[in-house]
Amino acid sequence: MGNRVAIVGIGQTYHKSNRKDVTQPEMVAEAVRAALTDAQMKPKDVEAVFTSNMETFEGMYLPDHMMVDEVGAFMKPGLKVNTGGTTGASVVEEGFHFVASGLFDTALVIGFEKQDCGDTTAAITAAVTPVWGKGVATGAIGEFAKQALTYMQKTGAKEEHAAMIRLKADKGACKNPYAHLKLGLKSIEEVLNSGYLVWPLRLLDFCPQSVGACALILASEHKAKKITKKPVWIADVVTVHQEPFRAGSFGDPTGTEEYSQDIAAERLYKRNGITNPTKDICMAEIYEPSNWEEMSHYEHYHFCEKNEGWKMVEKGITEMEGAFPVNPSGGVIATNPIGATPTIRVAEAALQVRGDAGEHQVTRDVHTAMATALGGPNWTVVTLLKRSL
Amino acid sequence: MTTEKKAEKKPEYIKVEIARPRAYKWSSGKYLGKLYKEALENRKLVTNRCPKCKQLLWPPAGVCGRCNVEAGEDWVVMSGEGTVLQYTYLVFPLWDPHYGDRLANPYPTATIKLDDGVFLVHFLEEKDPEKLKNVKRVQAVWKEEGRGRGLGDILYFRTIDE
Ligand SMILES: [Zn+2]
Repeated sequence: MGNRVAIVGIGQTYHKSNRKDVTQPEMVAEAVRAALTDAQMKPKDVEAVFTSNMETFEGMYLPDHMMVDEVGAFMKPGLKVNTGGTTGASVVEEGFHFVASGLFDTALVIGFEKQDCGDTTAAITAAVTPVWGKGVATGAIGEFAKQALTYMQKTGAKEEHAAMIRLKADKGACKNPYAHLKLGLKSIEEVLNSGYLVWPLRLLDFCPQSVGACALILASEHKAKKITKKPVWIADVVTVHQEPFRAGSFGDPTGTEEYSQDIAAERLYKRNGITNPTKDICMAEIYEPSNWEEMSHYEHYHFCEKNEGWKMVEKGITEMEGAFPVNPSGGVIATNPIGATPTIRVAEAALQVRGDAGEHQVTRDVHTAMATALGGPNWTVVTLLKRSL
Repeated sequence: MTTEKKAEKKPEYIKVEIARPRAYKWSSGKYLGKLYKEALENRKLVTNRCPKCKQLLWPPAGVCGRCNVEAGEDWVVMSGEGTVLQYTYLVFPLWDPHYGDRLANPYPTATIKLDDGVFLVHFLEEKDPEKLKNVKRVQAVWKEEGRGRGLGDILYFRTIDE
């Protein structure tokens, strides 16, 4: 391992479906200013700037070039990264690697997406290899719908369990000042009464298209201790790549393929001496595009036994007050500015470690937290954060 | 962190319409090229086999990523029959961004495991949500018009009796 690296500044914008009032760079600048304010730093204190989004969604080529001034990157080194859905976590990993290498002492990492500029479903559908899978793709939602069906059939989970996840997410979102959808849902019936989008996924079962940005400032150990009294250490980041399953889908209906989520989690746990994930780790912010996906991820990240993800919800284990809270922020199903989404997972997990999550701070003391990202299909990035190393 | 402020004047988007369609030309390469050719000319689904692990590569490819070996010309003609593993159908209107067509609604897509073991995502002929529940065995139906699109040369998969 390289030098120690901490998150010393956290900033995000509020999230909405539309931001007619700002350009993409202006929106990103809001998150950057917030992170700099949090760290009590000036733009000149940042040595390198790393950005990430899904540029084809907005129809803008090289968006990082356009926002050089707004993010304080003028005449500074940096890179733009795009790894698909995971990109907002990959950019954190990128900054982590550069600071851990000793090349820079401070780095600004930014995830952003201004989805109101374009057509995300069209862009995702177009993301299939041009000569393979074209014309039969249904965007992300068709894939997650099929996975929901498989999950139901395989595990015995009921629509009520998915609705419980949705209620949990909304409860968190309503307490999170930066969340997008704050629906004030009162009962699982409300969720079960929402119409189907792509059967069996209902409107309330799937994430929204959000506009927003999230910025983190990373610093080397000696700098971090000067900048803040509450550094959040990046203990480890694991990325696992896997080409799309041969069906070209996110899930594996045959049950014979290896999931990148399992491999990533196992590698992370082994490298960090984690033998009992829900005991050794205090909470998680996971990338769940749908409530069904969240239950499935509990299993893939070994938070529970196989086919028992829905039981964690039923028992309330993953509630804000539960033994292992998951997505107290409201998660992706409440807020999904795609390029920023995994950065927000890391940011929210870091706020929990600092004890600064405000109204959605979990009951359990968080000395260790995990953030995950899903993309690709079948790319996984997992990030482990600690209060002390 | 930032919270929403009310703007003094109501801002509006600038809308840019691009009237000219963009043209792209993609190469299918040696391996996918063979799949395209066999589908177009012989209405056959083909793929190649890894020389080391002997698994069918799908789609056909020049390397086996699991074994890190170069694949060769061990071509297999696959059955056009398979089993539906997962399915879904649209309940809201969606556009096909590639060809600009409005997708049929309902529009059932399925993950189908071919009898040779590989699986693919394709359309089903059956559109009745109740009947879809029982669709298991299916067979590829090839298109008559608009061919030359690889897997897109298959119109949909039709239910067959077990
Ligand atoms: Zn092989």
